[in-house]
Amino acid sequence: MNKQNQLSDIHHSGTPYIIYKSKSGFDLYTDFSKKIILNNKNVINFINKKYKNNKKSTDLFIGFFGYELLNNLINIKIPIQKNINFPKGIFYKPEKRIKINNKLKYKSSNDFKGSKFKINIDTNSYSRIFKKFKKKIKSGETYQIKICTKYKTKSKIDPLDFFSRLSQTNLAPEAFMIRDKNYSIISCSPENLITKKGYNISTKPIAGTLKKTKLINKIKALNYFKKNLKETKEHNMIVDMERNDLARICKVGSVKLFKQKIVEEYKDLYHYVSLIKGKLKKNIKNIDIIKAMMPGGSVIGCPKINTLNLLNHQEKENRNIYTGSFGYLKFNGDMRFNIIIRSILNFKNISEISVASGVVVDSNARHEFNENYIKAKALIDLFK
Amino acid sequence: MIYVIDHNDSFTHNVVHQFSLFDKVECDNYNNINKKKLSEASTIVFSPGPGNPKDYPTTSKIYKGFKGKKKMIGICLGFQQILFCEGAKIIEQKKIYHGFQSNIKVINNKSLFQKGKIFKVGRYHSLKLKEPFKINNFEITMRCSESKVAMTFENNKDKIYGFQFHPESFLTINGNLLIKKILSA
Repeated sequence: MNKQNQLSDIHHSGTPYIIYKSKSGFDLYTDFSKKIILNNKNVINFINKKYKNNKKSTDLFIGFFGYELLNNLINIKIPIQKNINFPKGIFYKPEKRIKINNKLKYKSSNDFKGSKFKINIDTNSYSRIFKKFKKKIKSGETYQIKICTKYKTKSKIDPLDFFSRLSQTNLAPEAFMIRDKNYSIISCSPENLITKKGYNISTKPIAGTLKKTKLINKIKALNYFKKNLKETKEHNMIVDMERNDLARICKVGSVKLFKQKIVEEYKDLYHYVSLIKGKLKKNIKNIDIIKAMMPGGSVIGCPKINTLNLLNHQEKENRNIYTGSFGYLKFNGDMRFNIIIRSILNFKNISEISVASGVVVDSNARHEFNENYIKAKALIDLFK
Repeated sequence: MIYVIDHNDSFTHNVVHQFSLFDKVECDNYNNINKKKLSEASTIVFSPGPGNPKDYPTTSKIYKGFKGKKKMIGICLGFQQILFCEGAKIIEQKKIYHGFQSNIKVINNKSLFQKGKIFKVGRYHSLKLKEPFKINNFEITMRCSESKVAMTFENNKDKIYGFQFHPESFLTINGNLLIKKILSA
């Protein structure tokens, strides 16, 4: 049977499944024999558990850690927020993996009716929040902080149809989709937070976004980033912060910058990216790695602990999956995790898209508010 | 052994890695100080961190207790912390430097480094030392070439050193050499 047909058969059967971008195409994971819903109590045991079998390509748990869970792991408490009661984290044990190519051709047979998106922070309140945090930067309490904005709409969506269209225009290296009975997630995340193989670990932070126009090619984008002091400083800060997070778990002298400030191209935008690698110290467990690296610094701000506390007290709505991490823990100890950004969470027929951009001392509220919209646009367009 | 006191910063472990190139390093959070390690250490390092020196009274106490007895090094907030303990005022600056690469110059012939030498360094600071500033044995030895803001001090009598910039940042060229020289002083 053709693999695309196999995918649409699985989709139509109603069976839960996950698609995750691989180097050459996508991996489809299904036939889940276990589903573990994570909470603050069981998460550590889940990460620490050891397994005997580790040879098969399905000897892994695949799923996500939500933002709140990751805060809790590093002992950061979140005040009571508006909450849709979406699970804090879910992982699945697949029994089947199917490799599919990059060209997802699925189309929904039903007509889709989208409605308008509502934003939870308007320009004025955004500016007020912005001013407040600029003061905190001036007094040294934070050096950079990323405030989250949510776009929401009520609609029933066909996740595979959305994901297929998204992957046709925006083939992001950390894209994934989860379709379960009561929720779905569609993501074109570009950002890898952890790639761990044996003692080798790497992270690939993104900081800096430029809207694509016909006049701007990749070389011009690089020049823009290089000349733009604000983007450069923001990026520098993230690079030093990620070096720090790796330094906590890596051997002295092993943390190195492999790619420094390169440009990557996507459908609607350009990103400014670096790649940092290290060699893990002996006796470091996966739980130590997760606690050192998550939640990923580039979507929080810096320094991490103080900034998390500041933004948790500012944000009135739970981030849910946003700035959490999706990926897998292999039974042999290897891991791959992204940062959940550029994502649609569809739960109880409400779709939410969260975005964030950075307040640094010389950023401007209107520019950042618009940058948020650019980041959400590729996803919002799917509803048209 | 070098004891690094962490002020909840996201750059502290870069400092730890840098100092580990030269000696054994232990690191604890400022609100979780290990007295045994503290007394065994030959050098104490005060890490960078958010906020203002007045937010960290435990660190100030450690500094005052070991002044003249152990070598002490402050980085960014740590630099400000030491000067604050010596009675200096730490104030907000108009232009803020976060993730900024600057040229700084050795301006004092009492420095361990050669007068006139220029370093390229990474900076992450909202606050700065209020000047004029005069305290016995403390010399401002490097300044930002552009803004003239104080970037290092040296007290070679009591072996106390401070960097307002970040020698551990990837933006600092030859940061390891700076640390090596201070550690062997």
